[in-house]
Amino acid sequence: MITLRTVSKTFSEQPVVKAVSLSIDPGEVHGIIGASGAGKSTLLRLMNLLERPDAGEVEFDGQPLMRLPERRLRHVRQEIGMIFQHFHLVSNKTVEQNVDAPLRIARVSKKERSVRVNECLRFVGLESFAGKYPAELSGGQKQRVAIARALANGPRVLLCDEPTSSLDPGTTSEILRVLQEVNRTLGVTVVLVSHEMDVIKSLCDRVTVMEDGEIRETVRIEPAGIPSIDSDAIWFLTQLTEGGGPHA
Amino acid sequence: MPDVLLQYEEEIKLAILQTFAMVGVSVLAAILLGLPLGTLLFLSRKGQLLANGFVFSSLNLLVNTIRSFPFLLLVVFLIPFTRLLLGTAIGTAAATVPLAIIAIAHYSRLVEQSLLDVPRGVIEAAVSMGASTREVVLKFLFVEARSGLVLGLTTSIVSFISYSTIMGVVGGGGIGDFAIRYGYQQFQTELMMYMILIMVVLVQLIQFAGTTLARVLDKR
Ligand SMILES: Nc1ncnc2c1ncn2[C@@H]1O[C@H](COP(=O)(O)OP(=O)(O)OP(=O)(O)O)[C@@H](O)[C@H]1O
Ligand SMILES: [Mg+2]
Repeated sequence: MITLRTVSKTFSEQPVVKAVSLSIDPGEVHGIIGASGAGKSTLLRLMNLLERPDAGEVEFDGQPLMRLPERRLRHVRQEIGMIFQHFHLVSNKTVEQNVDAPLRIARVSKKERSVRVNECLRFVGLESFAGKYPAELSGGQKQRVAIARALANGPRVLLCDEPTSSLDPGTTSEILRVLQEVNRTLGVTVVLVSHEMDVIKSLCDRVTVMEDGEIRETVRIEPAGIPSIDSDAIWFLTQLTEGGGPHA
Repeated sequence: MPDVLLQYEEEIKLAILQTFAMVGVSVLAAILLGLPLGTLLFLSRKGQLLANGFVFSSLNLLVNTIRSFPFLLLVVFLIPFTRLLLGTAIGTAAATVPLAIIAIAHYSRLVEQSLLDVPRGVIEAAVSMGASTREVVLKFLFVEARSGLVLGLTTSIVSFISYSTIMGVVGGGGIGDFAIRYGYQQFQTELMMYMILIMVVLVQLIQFAGTTLARVLDKR
């Protein structure tokens, strides 16, 4: 679905992503985990060219994104939803208007837009909040609106950058359930950046471990919840789970 | 009505009209040209959507230069330009030229500042959903910054009123000029006080309207 080929990104002479290759399979939930500053967010943002790589190739569905003209790239972005730790809703727009925004950008007809907005709000269980402003919502509700917004144009992939990191444990599992629904019911491929092992374990089919801008390992998470990883990576994940990070 | 005001009724009416004309043109210039210029200042900054060091530095220098002129000097300095543009450098119409120029520079800076207050993530979210730069500006930046844009314009209008009071030097007229010529220079202190009162009321009304509108628009 998404393929990165020896992709590199440098910020002010500091390499943040170093020749990373990674392939996201259609239909999977793919976790990306690693310590703070490891380059997880940057890697995720390379997938929809929010960040342009200095070298390497980014492919979506076989199309090399970097060679697409601006207009085509914007089209492709409509097929890749994205949500963030701090939601990034427009606070001067109502819930309804926030979800409507991507539909307007995609030039969807007025009638169809209102149907889509309703569907998406119902999917995240917020149909009765349509007229409210983000400031009137809890963190979990804001993230649901963000998910509804990201789903509006019927994307095939959803990129999630620490979607639960500013939420309490109860709300976190609520949001994870919604993301699971997105994957299972709608068949959307999910890429999930997190530094919480529990989040990754509860949702992901595979997990990529990042360290210092490089991929240390990509492993499959077994249904039982025990990752089939070599001892090295288990040590690394344990460090993360205990909140220390490998360099702490 | 006090006698002095009745005595100069026609002159005062004309002066108020002149002030409204000068401030009105300034506001139009601020909105039609200052808003786009401020937006371009913001967008051409490092790390923004149209990042361009040359464009940013040039516009930045231009705006700073205009704003660093003592206003009276700017008016005098622009006389040849005004004459080129309108055929004359004297009168209310001619006075609107330097006023419009300072208005554009003044408001563009406040626009830039308001846009800088919009969380970066909102722009990112917009880009991630496939918005063009134009859509990011119109459907996200301006929506999110709208109360700041209104407050900035309010502050600007109050400054424009103040700037307009010295346009007597090029025969622009207006309330300030009337207060100086009839009130101060002819020792009619009472008349001068009334003119000041009119300005105070005008500024209060504008500030109140601006603050109220900004509050209503702000859902953050
Ligand atoms: N736009 C940028 N300009 C300069 N440096 C950046 C930029 N974005 C990220 N960096 C740097 O790149 C490194 C990796 O950042 P990134 O956000 O990808 O890490 P992360 O793994 O997501 O960390 P966290 O868990 O804290 O979110 C950091 O050192 C960060 O300071
Ligand atoms: Mg991050």
